[in-house]
Amino acid sequence: MFWVKSTSVVVVTCAFVSLVSVPILPADEIESKPLQGCSFTAKPDEFLSAQSRIRSDISETTGKISRARYGAKQGETVPASEIPRRNLIDDEIFGKLASMNVRSAPVSTDEEFLRRIMLDLTGRIPSPSQIRAFVADSSADKRTQVIDDLLASEEFTDKFTLWMGDLLQNTATALSTSGINRQIDGRNAFYNYIRRSIAADKSFHDIAWETITATGNNYAEDNGAVNFLVGIQTAGGPVQDSFDMALTKTATVYLGMGHYDCVGCHNGRGHLDQISLWGKNATRTEAWRMAAFFSRTKWSVRNNQTTQYTDRYYNSTEVNNNPSGQYEANTNFGNRPFRCANALPPDPKTNRCLANQSITPEYRVTGAKPKDSDWRSAYAANLTSDPMFARNFANRLWKVFFNLGLVDPVDTLDPDRLDPANPPPAPWTLQATHPELLEKLAGELEQGYFKLRPFVKLLVSSSAYQLSSRYDSGWRADYVPLFARHYPRRLDGEEVHDSITQATGVPGKYTVQATIYRTAPTEAVQMMPDAFTSAMRLPDTAEPRSNGAVANFINVFIRGNRDTQPRVQAASVLQQLSMMNDAFVNNRTRISASPTLAAIAKISTNADVVDEMFLTVLARTPSQLERDRALAFLNKAGTNAAARNTAIEDLAWACINKVDFLFSY
Amino acid sequence: MKDRFGKDWSKLSGTQFWKRPQLSRRLFFKHAASAVGGYFLLPGRPMESIAKAAVSPIGTAKNCIFILMQGGPSHTDTFDLKVGSWTPAFMNPTSYGGMMFPQGLMPKIADQMDSVALLRSVKSWAAVHGLGQTWIQIGRNPVSGLSKIAPHIGSVVSLELGPTSKDRSLPAFVSLNTGTGPGNGYLAPEHSPFYVNPGGGGLGNTVHPGGVAAFDRRFNLLLDLDADVRDSNALGPAINEMATFNLSARKLMYNSDVDKIFSFDQNTRNLYGNTAFGNACVTARNLLRAKMGTRFIQITLGSWDHHQNIYQPNANLQALSRQFDNGLGQLIADLKQDGLLDETLIIAMGEFGRTVGNPNTTVGRDHFLQQAVLMAGARIRGGRVIGATDSAGLATADPGWSGDRDIKAEDIEATIYSALGIDWTTVRHDDPLGRGFEYVPKTGSFEYSPVHELWS
Repeated sequence: MFWVKSTSVVVVTCAFVSLVSVPILPADEIESKPLQGCSFTAKPDEFLSAQSRIRSDISETTGKISRARYGAKQGETVPASEIPRRNLIDDEIFGKLASMNVRSAPVSTDEEFLRRIMLDLTGRIPSPSQIRAFVADSSADKRTQVIDDLLASEEFTDKFTLWMGDLLQNTATALSTSGINRQIDGRNAFYNYIRRSIAADKSFHDIAWETITATGNNYAEDNGAVNFLVGIQTAGGPVQDSFDMALTKTATVYLGMGHYDCVGCHNGRGHLDQISLWGKNATRTEAWRMAAFFSRTKWSVRNNQTTQYTDRYYNSTEVNNNPSGQYEANTNFGNRPFRCANALPPDPKTNRCLANQSITPEYRVTGAKPKDSDWRSAYAANLTSDPMFARNFANRLWKVFFNLGLVDPVDTLDPDRLDPANPPPAPWTLQATHPELLEKLAGELEQGYFKLRPFVKLLVSSSAYQLSSRYDSGWRADYVPLFARHYPRRLDGEEVHDSITQATGVPGKYTVQATIYRTAPTEAVQMMPDAFTSAMRLPDTAEPRSNGAVANFINVFIRGNRDTQPRVQAASVLQQLSMMNDAFVNNRTRISASPTLAAIAKISTNADVVDEMFLTVLARTPSQLERDRALAFLNKAGTNAAARNTAIEDLAWACINKVDFLFSY
Repeated sequence: MKDRFGKDWSKLSGTQFWKRPQLSRRLFFKHAASAVGGYFLLPGRPMESIAKAAVSPIGTAKNCIFILMQGGPSHTDTFDLKVGSWTPAFMNPTSYGGMMFPQGLMPKIADQMDSVALLRSVKSWAAVHGLGQTWIQIGRNPVSGLSKIAPHIGSVVSLELGPTSKDRSLPAFVSLNTGTGPGNGYLAPEHSPFYVNPGGGGLGNTVHPGGVAAFDRRFNLLLDLDADVRDSNALGPAINEMATFNLSARKLMYNSDVDKIFSFDQNTRNLYGNTAFGNACVTARNLLRAKMGTRFIQITLGSWDHHQNIYQPNANLQALSRQFDNGLGQLIADLKQDGLLDETLIIAMGEFGRTVGNPNTTVGRDHFLQQAVLMAGARIRGGRVIGATDSAGLATADPGWSGDRDIKAEDIEATIYSALGIDWTTVRHDDPLGRGFEYVPKTGSFEYSPVHELWS
C-alpha cells in the first residue's frame, strides 16, 4: 500500500494483490499501513466539516425561527457582563463572550422559559393556567422551583426513557441485521429496564456496567439490560464481527468515540488523518484488543420450532460467557476485511490465513488487562473509569439542552484534543468550543456519580441555558460556537403528538403488544401497561403498531428506526400536508371533540378568545399584529354561534400550523 | 454459530463481503497488456490508474422504476427457470429464443419478452432478509461504518436529477407500498423517499377534511397571522423553510394534475390486476406521464419468502406472481405505448434467490445467494439473458459481461446510475463522517461497474 499524490488530491486505495510473495513485516510497520479491503479519497480543500455545517444550519434556523416569532421587531442584546452568573457554566460562557466583547442575548421571558423548560424536560407544553400562575409568581426562585418540580415528574422519566432508548437503540427488530432481533418481548424488557433506571436516577456508570456485563435470557422481565448485547450480534459473518460491533457500539454510546467503527476495518492512518488526532495513529490491532474483552461472549437463540406455541421464551436470545477463549485474528469472510496475522491476505488458493494471531484484551491507553476470567466486567470497569466516559455524557447532555454540542457531532470525540492542560501540537486545536467547560462538566458528572438529574439541573439552571433565542441585531454566523443566544430545536414527532393532544385536550389511546409466539394465557406476562395516552411513552419508534395512522403521523417528523435511520430534525412537504390535513390534527380541532376549544368558545369576548387560544396552543401571548388580525377574523364571523364556532376552530387550526408550534425556542 | 434460521454462516461460501471478486486472468492480462512492462504488477499501483479512462454513463434513461421483490423470489422458478420433476404444469415453461421463462406464471410479462432482459449471473452478498434488502437499496454493505449515513439509491438520483426536472411539483423520489426502509441518509430531507400507499382515491392529506372552502379560509388566516413573518424583504432572502414547505404542500392540494396521478377508476385498477401492487404500477405510470418531477419510483411487493408449499395452486408463488405479472406486464405495455419505456429503466429483483433442485421437506425453498434480476426499458436490448448459471441454478457458469464475475448489488447500482446519465464514480465530500461518500463503493482491488452489455 502506497500513497499516491497528485496535486491536492490524496488517493489511497487498495493495491492489486501482488503476484510476488509478500515478505513478513515487523509488527509496527504493518500497523502503520492501511489494510487491504478499504479505500478512501480525501480532498482536504473541499472538505466541509460536519461541525461547520451543523453550525451554519443552527445559525440559519435560529434566525428563521426568531424572525418567525417576532417579525421585524429587534431583539435587544445586552453586554455579557450584565447577565447574572448562576454557576460554573455561566462563568465560562459569559467570561468568554465578555473577553471577546460579544454581546449576549437577553435572558428569556417567563413565557419563553416555561414553554422551553417543559418541552426540554418533559416533552409537554404548559397549560394556560400554568403559564398564568408562573408569570404572576413574584418569588425570586420560581424558575428553580419549576425545574425541581419537573425533574421529579413522571413526564421527565418518559422523556429521558425515550432519549436513552434512542441512544441504546431499543427496537424489536433491527432492519439491517434482522437475522438477530430482540423480538417484542425483549424490546419490552429493555424498555422497562431503561424506564426503571431513569425513574430511579440510576447512574450512567451502573447502566453502562449492567448493559455490558449482563447475561441470561433477553425476554426475562428482570433481565432487560441484556438486550443491549442482543442488539450487537451481527449476522452474515464470523463471531469476531459481533465482538467488533460490541466495541463499536459501546465506544460510540459510552465514550463518544464513533471512529472505532473505522478502525475496526483498517488503521487510522490514511483515513482519519484530517479528522482525529487520536484516530490518525489508531490501529486495527488496538481495536481488536478492545474488542477482545467481548470474545468470551456467547449468543444463542432459542428457536426449537416444535415449542413455538408453548415456549414463553421461543425466539429469545441467551447471552452467556464462555469460560475460555480469545479473539482469534483468523477470519476470511464476513462484514469486515480479513483478520490475519501480520495483516497478510489469506492464501488465495485455500482462502485461509497464512498465520493465526490470538488477541488478548487490552484497554486503550492504560493497557489494562483483565485480572480474572470475567472479561466483560473488566471492560466495564475500564470503560466507566475512562475519562472519555464522563466527557461523553457531559457533551451528549449539553447537546440535549443547548442543541449544539460542545463537540458536535457528539460521537466524534477525539481524546487527544480535549484536555486543555495538554493541548495538541499545531496545527491541531482543542476540539471543544469551550475546552475548560467540557472538562469541568465532566468533573461535575463524575463527582455526582454520573447521575442524570443533578447534572441536568446544573445545565438548565444556568443563565446560558435560559437566554432568549432573540438576537436580531448584529448576530453573526461565527458567533454560533459562543452560545450567545439560545438555539431553537424542532420538536420530535412524539413531542408534536403530545403538544397537539394537550392543546386540544383530546388524548391518544394506544396499546402496545406485550407478547408474541405465545398463546397460553397462563404464560402471559404483563410487560406493558394496558393503554397509555402519550406518545412520549411509546417503547420504540415503530409504535404504535396498533394504530398505523398515528404511527404514520409521527413518522413524518422523522423519528428514525433506531438502527440504520437516525432521528432527524428536518422539515418536509409531507410534514406540512400532515399538519394541515391529517385526521390526527383535524379531528382534534373541532369544538365538538375538544374540551379546551369548547371552553374557549364559551368565552364571551373575542379579544379574550384570542389570548386564550394563543396561550393554549402556542403557550404565549400573541404579538400585537397577531392579536389584531385574529380579532378581526373572529369579529367578521359575527355573533351567530355556529359561525363564531367555525371561526374559533379555524383559529385553532391556524395556531397549530404556525411556525413556532413545531419548535422549542 | 447458528442463527435463528439454523444457518451456520461461517460455512456459507460467498458471504465474503470484504473479499471482492478477484480479477480473472483474462481481464488481468487485458489490463496488463495495455500497460508498460511490469510496472503495473508492482504492489501499490492503484487499479484506478490502470483503468484510467473517464467513465461515460449510458444516459438513455430519464427515470427509473425499482421493484423490490421483498422476501427473495425463487430464481429457478422465475427469471432463471430450471425445469424439473417438481415444476407444476401451470408454470408452462416456454422457450423464447432459447430463453426459458415460466409463461404460465407470468403470461403478461412473457408477452413483453422482446423488451425484457434477464440477468442470471447475479449473486447476493447476504442471505438475511433485512440485510439484503437494505443492501440492494443503498448499494453497499449496511453493516459497514458508512451505513449510518448512506442514502437510498433513489435519494442519490433525486439529488442528481431532481434539479434538472422542468416541473418540480412532486418529489423526485417516490416510494410506493414501501412505508419504511432506507431513506435520504445524510442528504437533505428533500431527497427522502416520499412514501405513498396508492389506492386510486387521490394523494393522502391533499384534501382538507372540512373541504376546500374551509381550507382556503384557514390558510388565508394563517398567512394573515404570519404576515410580518412571510413578508420577506426586510428579513432577508428566504422567509423560513417552514413557510416554504407549507406553500409547496399547498401546491399539491386541490391540484388537478396531482389528482390525475393518484386517482384512477375501477377499470384501470382491473387492468392492472386490482391489487395494491397493481395500483402502485398505475401510479408509477401516471407519475411518469405527468412529468411533474418524479424520477425514481420504488414499488415494494412482499411475501416472496416461500419456505413452504411454494407450488400450491393459486397460493404462494402462483398467486404472488399473478399480482406481479398483472401489474408489471401492463406497466411495460402502457409505457411502451406512451413511448416512455425508452426513457425509463425498470428493474425487478429480490434481496437474494432461493435453494435449487428438489424443494425442501416442506415443499418450499430456502434462502440462497444466487439470484436473477429482470430489467426492461431505457433502450436496453431485450429478449435475451445476461449470464448463465449451471444446470441446477446453483452458481454462475458464465458471467456474460465484461466484469467477468458475479454481478453484485453494487454493479446493479452502477447500472442504474449509468442508465440515468450519472457518473457512478462520483465521490462527494460533504458527508458528516468526513470520509468521502462514494456513489458506488470503491472497496477492494477492483471497481464495481455497470452492466453495459445490456445495451450492446
